[in-house]
Amino acid sequence: MRVLGKAVHTNAVKERTTALPRFELLGKVMQSKKAKYSFVLLFIIILLGIIGPWIAPHDPLESNYEAFLQEPSAEYWLGTDSIGRDLLSRMLYGARVTLTVAVMSVAITVVLGTVIGVTSAYLGGFIDNLLMRIMDMLLALPGIVLALAIVAVLGPSLTNAMIAIGISSIPSFALLIRGAALTIKSSGYVEASRSIGSSNRWIMVFQVIPNIAHVLIVYTTLFVGAAILDSSALGFIGLGAQPPTPEWGTMLNEGKGFITEAWWLATFPGLAITLIVFVVNLLGDALRDIFDPRAASK
Amino acid sequence: MAQYLWNRLAAGLLVVFGISVFTFALVHMIPGDPVRMMLGQKATQEQVEQVREQMGLNKPLVEQYATYVTGIVQGDFGTSLKTGQPVLKEITNRFPATVKIAVSAILIAIVVGIALGMVAAKYKDTIVDRAVLTLATLGVSIPGYWLGLLLMLLFAVKWKWFPIAGGTGFKDLVLPAVTLGVYASTIICRLTRSGMLEVLSQDYIRSARAKGIDETIILFRHAFRNVMIPVVTVVGLQMASLLGGAVLIEQVFSWPGIGTLAIDAIFSRDFPMIQGTTLFMGIVYVSVNIVIDLLYGFIDPRIDVSQQKAGA
Repeated sequence: MRVLGKAVHTNAVKERTTALPRFELLGKVMQSKKAKYSFVLLFIIILLGIIGPWIAPHDPLESNYEAFLQEPSAEYWLGTDSIGRDLLSRMLYGARVTLTVAVMSVAITVVLGTVIGVTSAYLGGFIDNLLMRIMDMLLALPGIVLALAIVAVLGPSLTNAMIAIGISSIPSFALLIRGAALTIKSSGYVEASRSIGSSNRWIMVFQVIPNIAHVLIVYTTLFVGAAILDSSALGFIGLGAQPPTPEWGTMLNEGKGFITEAWWLATFPGLAITLIVFVVNLLGDALRDIFDPRAASK
Repeated sequence: MAQYLWNRLAAGLLVVFGISVFTFALVHMIPGDPVRMMLGQKATQEQVEQVREQMGLNKPLVEQYATYVTGIVQGDFGTSLKTGQPVLKEITNRFPATVKIAVSAILIAIVVGIALGMVAAKYKDTIVDRAVLTLATLGVSIPGYWLGLLLMLLFAVKWKWFPIAGGTGFKDLVLPAVTLGVYASTIICRLTRSGMLEVLSQDYIRSARAKGIDETIILFRHAFRNVMIPVVTVVGLQMASLLGGAVLIEQVFSWPGIGTLAIDAIFSRDFPMIQGTTLFMGIVYVSVNIVIDLLYGFIDPRIDVSQQKAGA
């Protein structure tokens, strides 16, 4: 607005400069105590995963033949395992492994799950029916059973664990996304877009997906927690990361054999998994409260 | 009603058919020669050919699948490569142990979950509510197998109240059942709480309070009965996944159920057994779901299940 040739900021302009939509969202996230704290905690954990190798007091793979199964002490803060490796150092390296598996497997789930969910919702009809029946069939198997079957075929390794977990979470993710995409499909702007001749792919990529972004963020967060649990579970059974890789689940498996003589081996890695999953779940809950006030009131 | 039952069964059969395609495909997704992978590098060429013959892997794909499905329908899930026993026989031998652990866990979960959920709803937004909610988040975040290890460490190793693992008696059942019950109870608790909150804000609850009816009667008779439907659904779903998903806890406590059977099969690359256990878990899941659907009509007479479309 111009008054006597000078630019004067109206209220609307002022508000907009302080709160562009995307920053407004970030502001909202930071206003929620729960979201803020879980964000900070998660940041610290990720930071530990990144700088872990530099701050680890010992080599995670080197055994010290003079320190088998030592209790937590000043030298070994969390004790040592059956071949004298430092538990704390192994856990610091393990953070990196666990975070990588979680991110990679969730990436598989999110990409394929979104493609299937959005396509199914938007195209409808036969394709929708076909895709959803396939998802129903896969849902009839508990996630871990599906992941186990896939690992059985591919063989046990860290990469295969990521693939197995990623694939086994696709059905439930796709169903959730389909539900969200259905509401966008019937909106006016999608119809308008179609009437001026936009292609289906364009509408799906530039209209449907951006408008379900908030749902995507919430579910992705919640699925990260589940992926960490599943990957450590596979490691625990012995079908995930293979020794001597310091993965937390694999370490618990090794510790299980010494449960009567070395309590720390079966305790600390599990505590780490619980903590990280707890933080991720808290963040997921907080984000859901922010993005979906209807669900929050419950 | 009969019509509905048939539709529901047909939809269930379709899902089972889909799972059978999946388990059938498992063997064919193995990279390289599947028989070689199952037997390992030490096996002679003759042994490989013999197993290939036995599993019918040298026939055309369609014929193989037809034989596979015909076998399943007749109760023949194939023969275990490791023990030489029929797969279905081994599964039915192990299944009672899994049922035992799953039923005990779900009973614990129902009692604890509903109680905590109702308490949290009654004292909404107080410290009690917050504590319950935090516990519930913790319950879904803790890896079940680690909780099992912890309980074992405390109650079996340190205080020696219960045996460590390996047995199948009542005392052996306690720790695994409690471990499994924790996760299910957090799910039931959250659902009971949110359901109760919704119902407690209804007009008829206010009327009941205005009439001066005892609060316990309001909570149990007026409110809780209206929360039953979602609770029963989730109890059923948990039951179904416990029957198949107790894999890890069975492993921790060396409990001889189908979970340990499946994992042993994976380690010994006993593919007929892997296929069998996977398919069996799928069938159990589908059956439990059908039973839940039929239960709705009994719990809430307003729901006429026969009027609804059969979903998968």
